[in-house]
Amino acid sequence: MANQAGTTSAAQSRVSQVASHMQPSGRPSLLEKHPDDVVVTAALRTPITKGGKGGFKDTAGADLLHGAFVNLIQRSGIDPKLVEDIAVGCVLAPGGGATEFRAAALAAGFPDSVGVKSLNRQCSSGLMAVTDIANAIKSGMIEIGVGAGVESMSTQYGPGAVTEFSELLENHKSAAECKVPMGQLSEQMAKDKGISRKDQDAFAANSYQKAIAAQKKGLFDQEIAPLKVKWEDPKTEETKEITVSRDDGVREVTAESLGKIRAAFAKDGSIHAGNASQVSDGAAAVLLMKRSTAERLGQQILGKFVQASIVGVPPLLMGIGPWKAIPVALEKSGITKDDVDIFEINEAFASQCLWCANELGLPHEKINPKGGAIAFGHPLGCTGARQVSTLLYELKRTNKQVGVTSMCVGTGMGMAAVWVAE
Amino acid sequence: MLEFRTSGFNPYSVKYSPFFDSRLAVGSGANFGLVGNGRLYILNLTPNGIACEKFFETQDCLFDLTWSEQHENQLLTAGGDGSIKLFDIGVGEFPVAGWQEHQREVFAVHWNLLEKQTFLSSSWDGTVKIWTPERKESLMTLPVHSCVYSAQYSPHHPQIVTCVSRDSHLRVFDLRSKPSSQYHLQFAIPIHAPPKMALPQVHNRSVGPTESLTHDWNKYRDSVLAAGGVDGVVKTFDLRNPSGPVNLLPGHDYAVRKISWSPHLSDVLLSASYDMTCRVWTDGSNVDQGGNGAGLGRELGRMDRHTEFAMGVDWCLFGAEGWCSTCAWDERVLVWDVREFMRPGP
Repeated sequence: MANQAGTTSAAQSRVSQVASHMQPSGRPSLLEKHPDDVVVTAALRTPITKGGKGGFKDTAGADLLHGAFVNLIQRSGIDPKLVEDIAVGCVLAPGGGATEFRAAALAAGFPDSVGVKSLNRQCSSGLMAVTDIANAIKSGMIEIGVGAGVESMSTQYGPGAVTEFSELLENHKSAAECKVPMGQLSEQMAKDKGISRKDQDAFAANSYQKAIAAQKKGLFDQEIAPLKVKWEDPKTEETKEITVSRDDGVREVTAESLGKIRAAFAKDGSIHAGNASQVSDGAAAVLLMKRSTAERLGQQILGKFVQASIVGVPPLLMGIGPWKAIPVALEKSGITKDDVDIFEINEAFASQCLWCANELGLPHEKINPKGGAIAFGHPLGCTGARQVSTLLYELKRTNKQVGVTSMCVGTGMGMAAVWVAE
Repeated sequence: MLEFRTSGFNPYSVKYSPFFDSRLAVGSGANFGLVGNGRLYILNLTPNGIACEKFFETQDCLFDLTWSEQHENQLLTAGGDGSIKLFDIGVGEFPVAGWQEHQREVFAVHWNLLEKQTFLSSSWDGTVKIWTPERKESLMTLPVHSCVYSAQYSPHHPQIVTCVSRDSHLRVFDLRSKPSSQYHLQFAIPIHAPPKMALPQVHNRSVGPTESLTHDWNKYRDSVLAAGGVDGVVKTFDLRNPSGPVNLLPGHDYAVRKISWSPHLSDVLLSASYDMTCRVWTDGSNVDQGGNGAGLGRELGRMDRHTEFAMGVDWCLFGAEGWCSTCAWDERVLVWDVREFMRPGP
């Protein structure tokens, strides 16, 4: 019998080998639909508003997340008790926000049977949360999950977000470099890599112009879920209820107007408030499950998650993260950069985003077609989850299919993920 | 065109004898080689068509075979059960010797054309092994760590071994080099890399790694090889430029299972594919045809009489330059002249 069992498994593996010879590789294989694909059936975000001044300046992060959850349940029509786990990326909340995020899920209508966790991989936390849920679905640990991200920089941004370094860490060269402020190291990197102020300003102005055009055409309407929040008018100190339905950081800007702003981190520097990402508030959520599950439940499929990559780079060169992470994600997916229709690369700084794009040889028209974090903001933990809805709706609208989301990560990392819109 | 039916067995490999122009051997397996016995056919080309001189039965499918370069009646087989067997046509119904070291299916065997006392094998277990008929144990094991579909000795140097594998690399080993952590590995060329010089009219874009199922050394140019695999593109390589392919020959709709360079013409090769066709190609290097060593390749002709996956091809070493034999899962071995299937030039 033992021998027979051996024969059967050999025959099976030979069958699957021949079958694997029949599979196309590259883009055609990427576009194939399989029942065990991890698909997105809903992806949305709150508007992103200016830190300290915008529509969400008085709203707690967990409340933003609550808003994203409520809309996700409503829009997808998913029975909340079918969701097994929720991962939320967040950078600044004390304790990772684990307690209030669990509470926000309960308040949003998820029953207590649904797990919630928070995780922090700096600026890629939102993507990490989505990837984490996708991988849990792939492995069979859960069947349906939500990957989300949130940040209230208005209420939680500040020096308290980083613990004091011990003597041990302070005395280790690259360890100590982990706490060099983003702006300062990006200034140095821009100088070392020869990215001129003029190019940065042009890139930044382009981001604003794309975002304002997209906003005027209503291209964000599908991904944004408006929220009703309390807001204190700074002039009258009167608290009123307002509905926030658009990104309020987007404004008319030209390269010339940006050229007049004084550099923020060095006298002779090139980085300033106009060509770096804005400090903002916002939340985003993505509903994921296997294709077979989505079809069984009659969920509408927006696209599929293909593969993600995480790489490390020197802490002082954290801005080059996407340059290193994107090729890894593409290779894992069996495609090349030419197969990709849209790249959503987070604009932490115009300098690093521009450098990565140029170094990878990506055509600029394929990058952030609706603008990026320079124009509408970068709520740290939210961004990675926000990019999913921005990307999938734009791919669909323009009748394209393959997209990449990516960002640089503080302390020196890069993350990227490959998506297919359907 | 001559035809032989291997009823009940699906051929995987066909090889002309290096000693007789009328003798062929075919390795095959029942049930498409998935489960069941194997059979080795010894065929003769006669004025009355192809006749079976003898066949040997084996316990598992025979995925490949190679004729001995020492004895005209002997040949080696690559077994699905991990065994390598030496058969002698003049001796009974059982193999005269056998070697069992591979942990999984053996996919290729090849006799050294220059130092005729050695041969090699490659296997799904991720290794290439070097053997001599006189010893029961292998002389050397070259780790590849990925299913090795095809391995060969260079016809130009007895100590150079190449192989292609599932991981989309063409590896070159030099057995003269000192053993080290690299196990004689000289290069691992990414088969899926884009060609160094972009080729006009050809899709140069890499579609990513592709399982490589077959490769062959050019018989005239000592640094040139070709490989084929799941992406359906035949690619030529020049070891003087080990960063990727030199030329791409796209056309097959499905995986290329077997390729063989002509023993007569330095620029011509033949391929067999799961798309059921066998195609003749030039890599464009023929100066008389307008090539200059690195010209554009193209398909010269195709034979589409097979009705299932075409698995094996081999050229006749003797006589006129176009005779070849092909075999396919349609349980047929065909012997034909490629010159009858040529298309007019571009």
